[in-house]
Amino acid sequence: MLPLSLLNTAQGHPMLVELKNGETFNGHLVNCDNWMNLTLREVIQTSPEGDRFWRLPECYIRGNTIKYLRVPDEIMEMVKEDSIRQRQAASGGNRGRKWFSWWKYWSRRKQRWKL
Amino acid sequence: MSERGRGRGAPRGSRGGGRGGRGGSTFAQDTKPKKESILDLSKYMDKKIRVKFNGGREVIGSLKGHDPLLNLVLDDTEEFLRDPDDNRLLNDTRSLGLIVCRGPAVILISPVEGTEEIDNPFVQQE
Amino acid sequence: MTDLQKYVDLTVEVITSDGRVIVGTLKGFDQTTNVILSGCHERIFSETEGVERVALGLYIIRGDNICLIGELDQERDASIDLSEIRAAPITDISRR
Repeated sequence: MLPLSLLNTAQGHPMLVELKNGETFNGHLVNCDNWMNLTLREVIQTSPEGDRFWRLPECYIRGNTIKYLRVPDEIMEMVKEDSIRQRQAASGGNRGRKWFSWWKYWSRRKQRWKL
Repeated sequence: MSERGRGRGAPRGSRGGGRGGRGGSTFAQDTKPKKESILDLSKYMDKKIRVKFNGGREVIGSLKGHDPLLNLVLDDTEEFLRDPDDNRLLNDTRSLGLIVCRGPAVILISPVEGTEEIDNPFVQQE
Repeated sequence: MTDLQKYVDLTVEVITSDGRVIVGTLKGFDQTTNVILSGCHERIFSETEGVERVALGLYIIRGDNICLIGELDQERDASIDLSEIRAAPITDISRR
């Protein structure tokens, strides 16, 4: 299982993010990308010393400043379900057909254009 | 080069090209759709935002411009100072005015509106 | 790097560059050595007291700040009385 798949599945769920500088952010994951950049909402920020706190409506965090993420245990199960669903969609889905019709289209064009 | 131009007509070439790219890229599609950015900065235009930088600097300014690399233009910028002894962030600021923030150095962006310092919210839980 | 595959579903100990020791089950990893640890706990070492265990749950640790990943022999680990162990914590090398 890939860490970023787990993170993707965790979208909409609460999590704790600690940055390399020791600051922590508790909030709901809104979005994430392949660089682990995150957007959180309803965030509580804690200073590295753990003595000051801020409430932020939302924030964007650059992935490479993250030390670790703490995610709810349930997400593990959800990733498994997600990946099964994806595999089904990939194999049984319309992927093959799409490819075929596309290929047919191009081979016809090639004939017409005498490529 | 001419070789390459011809290749375009074939399925393979067009896949990488702009036209067929999205529908045809069977691999990228499965994982997730390729998004521009997970942050829509346009909603912060002319609003005050707080920006933290790699290395510990922190500023507040109103957003005047941005690009996909997260380079930012801020106006009426105030930088928060740090205690020279223990390097802790202070509430004192110095004025920087109109600045360009380099995207790769930006590590955190949040709106100032709705942000407040609060008492320890975790006390009761422990 | 792909040698991490043999640790998947085993108990591993991870030492991070800020000196934390985290023990958990390796559930996944990627090219950049980001790892997923489930059911993990931190072990806080001290020279004056026994080892403190803090439950952490499910973690994603960024590869950037991982110093070490090692398989933990669960039998031998179980035979150690952590409350008797006195050891200095590992120094934080992550900040200037």
